[in-house]
Amino acid sequence: MLTKKQKRINWILVAVLLVLSIFFLFPVIWMLANSFKPDAQITADMNTVAAFIPPALNGNFFENYVSIITDTNFLRYMGNTLLYAAILIVLSIIVNGLAGYALAKIDFPFRDQWLLLIVMLLIVPTETVITIHFLFIAKAGLLNTVVGYILPLIVNPFNIYLFRQVFVSLPDDVYEAAQLDYCGPVKYFFTMVLPMSKTVVATVSVFTFLNVWNDYLWPSLVFTSSDLLTAQIGLNSIASNENTTMGQTLAVITLVTIPVIIIYSLFSKQIVEGVTSTGSKEG
Amino acid sequence: MSFIEFKNVCKKYPGSDKNTVENLNLEIEEKEFIAFVGPSGCGKSTTLRMVAGFEEITGGELYIEGKKVNEVAPRDRGIAMVFQNYALYPHMTVEKNIGYGLKNMKLPADEIKKKVDWAIQILGLEEYRYRKPKNLSGGQRQRVALGRAIVKNQKVFLMDEPLSNLDAKLRVSMRTEISKLHRELGATTIYVTHDQVEAMTMADRIVIMKEGVIQQVGRPMELYDHPKNQFVAGFIGSPQMNFFDVTVENGTVHFSDGNTLPLSEATIKKLNGHQGEMILGIRGEDLKVDAQNMELNKDSHQHAVITDTEVMGNENNLYFEFGGSQAVARVSKYEISQVGDQIDFVFMPSKLHFFDKETGVNYMEEV
Repeated sequence: MLTKKQKRINWILVAVLLVLSIFFLFPVIWMLANSFKPDAQITADMNTVAAFIPPALNGNFFENYVSIITDTNFLRYMGNTLLYAAILIVLSIIVNGLAGYALAKIDFPFRDQWLLLIVMLLIVPTETVITIHFLFIAKAGLLNTVVGYILPLIVNPFNIYLFRQVFVSLPDDVYEAAQLDYCGPVKYFFTMVLPMSKTVVATVSVFTFLNVWNDYLWPSLVFTSSDLLTAQIGLNSIASNENTTMGQTLAVITLVTIPVIIIYSLFSKQIVEGVTSTGSKEG
Repeated sequence: MSFIEFKNVCKKYPGSDKNTVENLNLEIEEKEFIAFVGPSGCGKSTTLRMVAGFEEITGGELYIEGKKVNEVAPRDRGIAMVFQNYALYPHMTVEKNIGYGLKNMKLPADEIKKKVDWAIQILGLEEYRYRKPKNLSGGQRQRVALGRAIVKNQKVFLMDEPLSNLDAKLRVSMRTEISKLHRELGATTIYVTHDQVEAMTMADRIVIMKEGVIQQVGRPMELYDHPKNQFVAGFIGSPQMNFFDVTVENGTVHFSDGNTLPLSEATIKKLNGHQGEMILGIRGEDLKVDAQNMELNKDSHQHAVITDTEVMGNENNLYFEFGGSQAVARVSKYEISQVGDQIDFVFMPSKLHFFDKETGVNYMEEV
């Protein structure tokens, strides 16, 4: 039961957070409202409250979106990105999950030192290793291929660490019981470990999706063929085109933002749980 | 040859300077229910896990059905196991938990269903069939774990403190259920527990372990009435056997507080010449207060003042200071005494145990 004082503090906190959230939402609302307007109207509304209000619903309401979809390859870029994300999610779970499982449950020489090394890798910024990745992929003749794009992104120290932290709390006797139920180690990983760790699987999936969706630097280095480009590069090339209107640019940005907002809204609980918990034990 | 045979089995963990299990030699017969008991760290669970194949045997040989299994994988040993924490698969329903092993054995679906139905019915889990473990109580979870073990029709059941997480009442009913299942299925069962009551009530034979070494193997009443050493005597029975520091000289026991107890000819003979300082042990129910026994042993009446009482319902425990130690007498519920009352009692002459002060060996069981 909350005391009167605690209730008052809660109300103040809610009020402060509301004000802050409005502050952060302003640019998004502005982007959304103006993405439906022609450039002339955007300029006219610029310094007024109307800048935050979408135009009246008429035949031209979706014009910016329609022109982006019909005149550019942007939908294809989005499709490419979704495909890359899907492949990477599956590979990330398998590869990083197996590595995390080994670090959590299998006794091998220098296991703790390996873990320390992986934790230390967390502080290395992507930009510092990207040159090496690029040289490796170029030497392997994989530039401008999906494999070349995906290969360096599969292993992720953060994901390995997340998996390890959750797997370490899984009870060993379940593995022993599974052994007596004729379940081999690989089958155990896929039919027991992963289903018992749904939260971390969801977290890694979401993070992998967001990484792929928001990444600009790596795909811009690997891909030159326009057939393989990702949404972020598409956004940049459309936005930097002289013929693109401001309304069209805002429409593209909105299209790029929508999946991120949907994913965050659907999985916010798992993201927080996955990062903060060291694994919850069902049953 | 026995069904399960341990030949000088040892277990030494890396980095440890002594064996956790030391030269274990034991033969278990087919369909036998054998319980391993002992205090924490005595090696009983390690022994069970060596039978299961979850712990490497670092010395000696283990045979199941005449076949050496030291290097055999757990799944190929023909065993089923019930774990202390149930070890159910949390994302599967009761039905799937029980049938998982059968599915992996690639049995036909209708046969799996038949076997799962049988286990669910025999364990009274019908209404929980589609529930997941988190929605079951401790007792129900334990029954699912039992179901998972019995459904595979293995010849050896291993149970690692299966009832230790249940409340006292449920433990009693599950004890009966496990005994009944054992009678019906006839599987050779190794049951590990730290609870001597469980071992006494369920097992055909009990193995008592201490610091990795078997202290005694025998039928429950054999261990209770004829303990080979002081450890076994103290471990089996509740309340614990009374122990007194005594000196035996010329057929008389001298207690440290000056009391004496003349020994019978039969006891002196059994003592086989042992004299001097030793430990006298006697169970609480063998300190008699009733008129008939008082009359029969009128030369050796003892007296003490009651310091505490426990009313158990079916009997009373009377605590008192005697011979420099605290002692307890288990008496009939009709013997009503209060703290501060004097208690007159006699030692049942045929129930005395004398233990070596250094080694704990029971002189009365030496032959």
